[in-house]
Amino acid sequence: MDLGEFQIPGNSDPNQKTSHLSLDIGGSLIKLVYFSTNDGDDDDDDELGRSGKESVGVSNGNRSFPVLKGRLHFSKFETRKINDCLDFIQTQRLHIGGCQRLGALPIEKTIIKATGGGAYKYADLFKEKLGICLDKEDEMDCLVAGANFLLKAVHQEAFTYLDGKKEFVQIDHNDLYPYLLVNIGSGVSMIKVEGDGKFERVSGTNVGGGTFWGLGRLLTKCKSFDELLELSHQGNNRVIDMLVGDIYGGTDYSKVGLSSTTIASSFGKAISDKKELQDYQPEDIARSLLRMISNNIGQIAYLNALRFGLKRIFFGGFFIRGHAYTMDTIAVAVDFWSKGEAKAMFLRHEGFLGALGAFMSYEKHGLDDSMIHHLTQKFPMSSLVGDKICSPLNGELNDNESIECSVYAS
Amino acid sequence: MDLGEFQIPGNSDPNQKTSHLSLDIGGCQRLGALPIEKTIIKATGGGAYKYADLFKEKLGICLDKEDEMDCLVAGANFLLKAVHQEAFTYLDGKKEFVQIDHNDLYPYLLVNIGSGVSMIKVEGDGKFERVSGTNVGGGTFWGLGRLLTKCKSFDELLELSHQGNNRVIDMLVGDIYGGTDYSKVGLSSTTIASSFGKAISDKKELQDYQPEDIARSLLRMISNNIGQIAYLNALRFGLKRIFFGGFFIRGHAYTMDTIAVAVDFWSKGEAKAMFLRHEGFLGALGAFMSYEKHGLDDSMIHHLTQKFPMSSLVGDKICSPLNGELNDNESIECSVYAS
Repeated sequence: MDLGEFQIPGNSDPNQKTSHLSLDIGGSLIKLVYFSTNDGDDDDDDELGRSGKESVGVSNGNRSFPVLKGRLHFSKFETRKINDCLDFIQTQRLHIGGCQRLGALPIEKTIIKATGGGAYKYADLFKEKLGICLDKEDEMDCLVAGANFLLKAVHQEAFTYLDGKKEFVQIDHNDLYPYLLVNIGSGVSMIKVEGDGKFERVSGTNVGGGTFWGLGRLLTKCKSFDELLELSHQGNNRVIDMLVGDIYGGTDYSKVGLSSTTIASSFGKAISDKKELQDYQPEDIARSLLRMISNNIGQIAYLNALRFGLKRIFFGGFFIRGHAYTMDTIAVAVDFWSKGEAKAMFLRHEGFLGALGAFMSYEKHGLDDSMIHHLTQKFPMSSLVGDKICSPLNGELNDNESIECSVYAS
Repeated sequence: MDLGEFQIPGNSDPNQKTSHLSLDIGGCQRLGALPIEKTIIKATGGGAYKYADLFKEKLGICLDKEDEMDCLVAGANFLLKAVHQEAFTYLDGKKEFVQIDHNDLYPYLLVNIGSGVSMIKVEGDGKFERVSGTNVGGGTFWGLGRLLTKCKSFDELLELSHQGNNRVIDMLVGDIYGGTDYSKVGLSSTTIASSFGKAISDKKELQDYQPEDIARSLLRMISNNIGQIAYLNALRFGLKRIFFGGFFIRGHAYTMDTIAVAVDFWSKGEAKAMFLRHEGFLGALGAFMSYEKHGLDDSMIHHLTQKFPMSSLVGDKICSPLNGELNDNESIECSVYAS
């Protein structure tokens, strides 16, 4: 996988190379975004490592910037397996610019953009193991930049999920703001976005993806987040949740609009002294847990959307993973309880907002708009089949999620 | 404790008696008079429907059903207006009773934390709307707590949480940021980023965690969540006071502290959390009040004096005994009309 060399203009130090790799190191997951030129271009490389795909691109008046065509790739690792991530970066040579691949002198200072708390927590580790200096970007800046980028530049990025149906949303660039961005990671941040770089983190909740995974692991011994989600498919939440009908003897509490199947108390039936933890099906536990957390996030999200008069709520982060029950619960919580005032929307590259935003921050020389024009999305319809969008873990590449694009090189 | 007999005026049927449900059954029968065929007891909550037949079969009691929200609100209004030192704030470990101005009571947000949670905007006597709620309530705490710790009761779970340390299981901002704050957005390093976030670790199983730590994290998670949803609704409707009812709190310091902080801090001081001494009895009290549908409510209120020795405030718990034990410190001296 070739990578074009990418330098911030004005940097004349040959020993300092920035690469087409950015990281978002969160509490539970490390997200990577990296650019590679299309395969098979090695033979065309000139002595500076520029591929034959390069051509002179846009000029901003002072200099022209050659354009490299390729793809943006997405990958993730569990934060606790950070060494696997380091190995991946090393073997794929993601941190190395073209110059180095030709056997030139070792680079002493490789600078990689990184966001998330781990950019601080693991700065030393990256230095020691790979000689990488992490250039830290603010987490919220990156989430918003990544979201704005995806919504404006990538075709069919956002979609609604109602009554079991996915529907892509056409984003009007002139009517994008304001919106509420809800990023569901280990924890949840809720950000009111009013423009490029114009935002405020207005809320959040500590009942997030980490809570689902942590409680789920304690209650079911699942080995992974995906395993827990898989379990929830077959579960029945009525075994463990106390419904309005359970309290009211089978009827609705219609006077206040609560149907008999509304959950009155999540896990409310588990107070029964007739059953112990091992007597419950892990599928039912997983389902109740997923419902409880999804519904709660949906509720706090719509309360904040109402608070600020926001009509659209975009959900990011790796909690959702295209899981039907999750999206349904969140969409219903938002749409129903806001009486249709607010709409829930999901993002295909949901978990990569931060890493994308960090990637965008390489481009601080004002060419952002031009770069956007070069992006075309290769998006085969087949990846919509079924109710899951696969987001592979631990280094596997899913080319269906990669984005064809060009980057400027100097 | 003697109770007077209480009849709705105009009811001339000697066989139909309405009684003081939450306390005892009418005096006449204790004197050995003829068995009453139809005893009518006011009842609210879902069980008034679910268990109506059971009461009929076992005790010959006919449950006169009153709406749950009506009763919660009636009970809350009654306590706030009639009972001395009913509501109190809890800040920095200190309880402080609130003087309720009868002319400035409304509007307020009533948050009743039972198995589930109801949030009611109260604008006057009988004037209210259930505006929100959450299914993450007392039943969730008890249910999840029982599954995770094998505790036999709610109180046992609360007791466990006393000794717990939430930092073992909760993922804090500092855990993600390598020890520092994320000050740019106002998150200190000790702020919980993700409840139970550390439990994803594959180095430990459920049995490797202390039940005290689990109980503490659970209590914190649920209390904080209720506090957050409560203040978001208070802000939504411009309500400055939030009264918490239901049996979730039980005078537990950590619970009240978590809720009070969530409300006061996140609303930037706009809203205030207040707790009620008779927190769990709002519905039953409201049902009791509904016997008095003949317009004597105001007069009845004047007869109430609160017997309330200061000693019950010692320590950080208000005892609320379960299963029929009477705690005379919480009883309210009063008179009722009889005809």
